[in-house]
Amino acid sequence: MLELLQVNPSSGDPIYRQLSEQIIHLIVGGQLPAHTVLPSVRQIASYLAVNPMTVSRAIQQLVEQGWLERRRGQPTQVAERVNNHASAEALLQPQLAVLLASAQQLGLSKQQIIDLIEKQWDRSKSTGA
Amino acid sequence: MDALLQLNKVVKRFEANTVLDEVSFTLEPGMVVGLLGANGAGKSTLMRIALGIIDADAGDIATLGEAPAQLSVAAKEAIGYVPQQPFGYENATVAMALALHRSFYASWDMQLEQQWLQRFALDGKTKVNKLSVGQRQALAIIMAMAYRPKLLLLDEPVASLDPLARRQFMADLFELALESGSAVLFSSHITSDLERVASHVALLKNGKLLLMRELDEIKEHIRLVTFPEGVMPTFGEHIRVLHRREYSWLIDGYRGETWAGALQCQALNLEQLYLELHI
Repeated sequence: MLELLQVNPSSGDPIYRQLSEQIIHLIVGGQLPAHTVLPSVRQIASYLAVNPMTVSRAIQQLVEQGWLERRRGQPTQVAERVNNHASAEALLQPQLAVLLASAQQLGLSKQQIIDLIEKQWDRSKSTGA
Repeated sequence: MDALLQLNKVVKRFEANTVLDEVSFTLEPGMVVGLLGANGAGKSTLMRIALGIIDADAGDIATLGEAPAQLSVAAKEAIGYVPQQPFGYENATVAMALALHRSFYASWDMQLEQQWLQRFALDGKTKVNKLSVGQRQALAIIMAMAYRPKLLLLDEPVASLDPLARRQFMADLFELALESGSAVLFSSHITSDLERVASHVALLKNGKLLLMRELDEIKEHIRLVTFPEGVMPTFGEHIRVLHRREYSWLIDGYRGETWAGALQCQALNLEQLYLELHI
């Protein structure tokens, strides 16, 4: 799964947060089903060439939030979850907030935004993107 | 003894010029501290004072718990230092230079030395004065790290290494800091390297230590907030204003709050932060 991960150290977002958000997206999106075993902190850190402490912080946070679980003497794995659909909606909130803020700055109405989304949705469906 | 290096209100002047102005900070095991600052901000001076190469004019310094001017042999054997411009051994071959250098350190790891020579593609038979700048840096790094020092000071160590060698070298730093419980102080202009490697960032400007924080905290709690012309914002008491430029305030202590009338509230990467503090 290492190849699914990537971080941008030069972003204003802390690396641990980029990493934990990415892993949540992968879990919610189904790329990482329950019980998938994660690589070790050391493997992830060396693959991404970042400080292992920041990787360890991301993993720790995901364990606390229930996305991952760690049983004694076993590697970290993806936890069993029931409510992935609600999580998917919650995950889009930040991007939605950004979209709405830009739309309002540009003076678009609610209907115009909805129309735009519909058009874009149909276009991406028809191109299969 | 917890702190591997402790500076308390250290002052250094060169004639009328104050190079370090009451600098205080502590390096603990496991910390990889990126030291950021303009040329002449005092980065090299700080390292040289910690090593006892030059004396401070005021303040207290404890290097591995000892006064830097009278470091014991045991302390010296536990310190690694890569200066900006290495270095001696000019007429020796790489192998001879390493043999001599090795003889000073009881805990020298031959396997590590060989592994790194290979990685940096250094040939033992090459004369030191025939090495390129990058090869010299690589040799200096081997000489400073092959005995797994408790305290490692690196003054712009990687500028001349190629990207792959830099990455591998960073992995070695983590191993040293996290597995051997050492502390690393690492000055560099390459902010993208610091962002990968540093657990903490120390920012020097005109001899003053403006910031010394965990990198993740810096990115979470420092924001550049812009207001319309003429608006004077009031920030909460937990907020420290680091810098103001026209209608933008650089603040520390951000906790996700919003301010009425703010046009923008922007997270910064290290390079942006550095520039904001220096414009």
